[in-house]
Amino acid sequence: MTGPANLIFYALAALTVGSAVLVAVLPNIVYAAVALLFSFAGVAGLYVFLSADFLAATQVLVYVGGILILILFAVFLSNRISDVKISNPARFQWQAALLCLALFGVLSTTAVRTVFPLKHGLTYQPTTAEIGELLMTRYLLPFEAASVLLLAALIGAALLSRPDGKGKGSADMEEPK
Amino acid sequence: MPLGNFASLIHFLPELAVTATILLLVVVHVAGKNRQSAAPALLSLAGVGAALLLAALQPASAGRSLFEGMVALDGFAIFFKALTALATIVVIFMSMDSGELAGRSQAEYYIFLLSVLLGMFLLTASTDIVMLYLSLELVSIPSYLLAGYLKGRESSTEAAMKYVVYGATASGVMIYGFSLLYGLTGTTQIGEIGRALATGDAPLPVLLAAVMVTVGFGFKIAAVPFHMWSPDVYEGAPTPITAFLSVGPKAAGFAVLVRFFYTVFASPDVAAGVWKISSRVDWTLLFGVLSAVTMSVGNLVAVNQTNVKRLLAYSSIAHAGYMLMGFVLLTPAGLQAILFYLVVYLFMNLGAFYVVILVANGTRSENISDYSGLGSRAPFAAVSLAIFLFALTGIPPFSGFIGKVYLFAEVINRGVYWLAVVAALNSVVSLYYYARIVKVMFLEDPKDSTELPVPLFPRSVLCFLAIPTLLLGVYWEPVARVAANSVKLLAF
Repeated sequence: MTGPANLIFYALAALTVGSAVLVAVLPNIVYAAVALLFSFAGVAGLYVFLSADFLAATQVLVYVGGILILILFAVFLSNRISDVKISNPARFQWQAALLCLALFGVLSTTAVRTVFPLKHGLTYQPTTAEIGELLMTRYLLPFEAASVLLLAALIGAALLSRPDGKGKGSADMEEPK
Repeated sequence: MPLGNFASLIHFLPELAVTATILLLVVVHVAGKNRQSAAPALLSLAGVGAALLLAALQPASAGRSLFEGMVALDGFAIFFKALTALATIVVIFMSMDSGELAGRSQAEYYIFLLSVLLGMFLLTASTDIVMLYLSLELVSIPSYLLAGYLKGRESSTEAAMKYVVYGATASGVMIYGFSLLYGLTGTTQIGEIGRALATGDAPLPVLLAAVMVTVGFGFKIAAVPFHMWSPDVYEGAPTPITAFLSVGPKAAGFAVLVRFFYTVFASPDVAAGVWKISSRVDWTLLFGVLSAVTMSVGNLVAVNQTNVKRLLAYSSIAHAGYMLMGFVLLTPAGLQAILFYLVVYLFMNLGAFYVVILVANGTRSENISDYSGLGSRAPFAAVSLAIFLFALTGIPPFSGFIGKVYLFAEVINRGVYWLAVVAALNSVVSLYYYARIVKVMFLEDPKDSTELPVPLFPRSVLCFLAIPTLLLGVYWEPVARVAANSVKLLAF
């Protein structure tokens, strides 16, 4: 990559990482959710750069369009979520910062110094058809396993959100006193 | 050559049986009026029993690669399928007896339990990191739901929450490790990754990938320092699930740990009949230290516990440490020792938890102090618990002793003396806290001397668990032979 493409890549990377930092730092959960939106959008842009068009679209549809909207709904529908007393206040900040810096050093050194084998002469082509074919041939078993996983998760979500039927179910809807 | 999708189905019958049972359970749940009927439990028993039978009937002779190379069918996978199916059957029996689960909706519980079982079947056989990751999540996500199944009980919800947070972190780190391996080799097949790494020369990313993958697998087997979740989860979860998590997913975790590391970071040395490390990263030393730390932390912290479920949680951490000893040796005999130990551990650990359930049904308590005088209140349960605890300690003539002999013998055989010394010291520490429960049961006066009835059905299940615990201590040859045969086919 040269010239403007490089510049766009760095802009996208900065958007992704910068908003991710904001998600961790911002004290207001609504602001954090909005920052998450930009982080997800940045990742979608990075997928475009990797010529993964299907993944980029999925990222926008599922994360930006679905998961984030759900998070915002949950935040808005929950009373007083923005001024909840957090039971585990931030402690050991310096130690944690040192540890994270060390981890960052290791990860970035690995990423920069490793010679990853590159694929040359790639042309940018739509990947959707190929993904569809692979899901029905080579990756059929993981695809089916994912369906069982989703079934279990769906039943679990229904179970967790269902009132108990003994009148206890309404207890968690009341405001904490 | 890996078999195609349709040709593989005939070799996939145990998994199909479990999947069919899950779907039937969904139908039963929707069609049935009574949420508390025993139908789901009996249906699951039939389904898992069929899966166990089908797994046992699979020919262990030829290693095959199924579903375009996604999973392997070899003696190793068949062994773990049978082991996890057996554990699930016992846990279904325990769940039918559990007072905690009475009055709660049944069908979902068994749907989750069988989903975990299906995940374990796939996890122990996975030979592709895509499949491996998905099956790990198939084990994890229903486990979170099961840990939090006692809705409205604070400790159960806390257990589920902690489990989710730790589990998500662990699998996130593991996936990062996988991405490094994929970036280095350009393939998701673990066999091909292993061959590519053997010729490559990149110690730093390989070491980093090994450490990151260890986080994911270490979380599943609850090895220190990835064990933080386990005491709280084990204490808060319904007791049958605690028992299940301490045996089933732990065994599956060991299976995937062995298959992954012995394929990716080591290669079989056919002439010497052992494995040798293929990259320049000496990960066996890392795991040796991990093993010593795991057993020491587990045993030392267990000494101070007052809640019997927490105590057994730390004890199961310690046992993971013992079994890791067999993993670092890179020899078939070391693996055989792990497999044999897992069989023994299944009976003695599930047995101990079963007695905890029976006592909790009567006393509503899981404190060790409430076990006082159990010897006179419920002699059958107390004697069984004593058997299981002595077996867990590893005292002859109980089966735990033979399990430890296999592990220690191979450790000493390979000259890793320091690990053997640490493990021996740990066994002494463990005697203290196991024997303390036995002392409370038989030598202390009961606070409440009413008799605790143990009905016939729990008695027979206890016998089913206690008899192998005793028998494998004196006649272990057949099981040891099965374990040895299951190891041979691993490298194909």
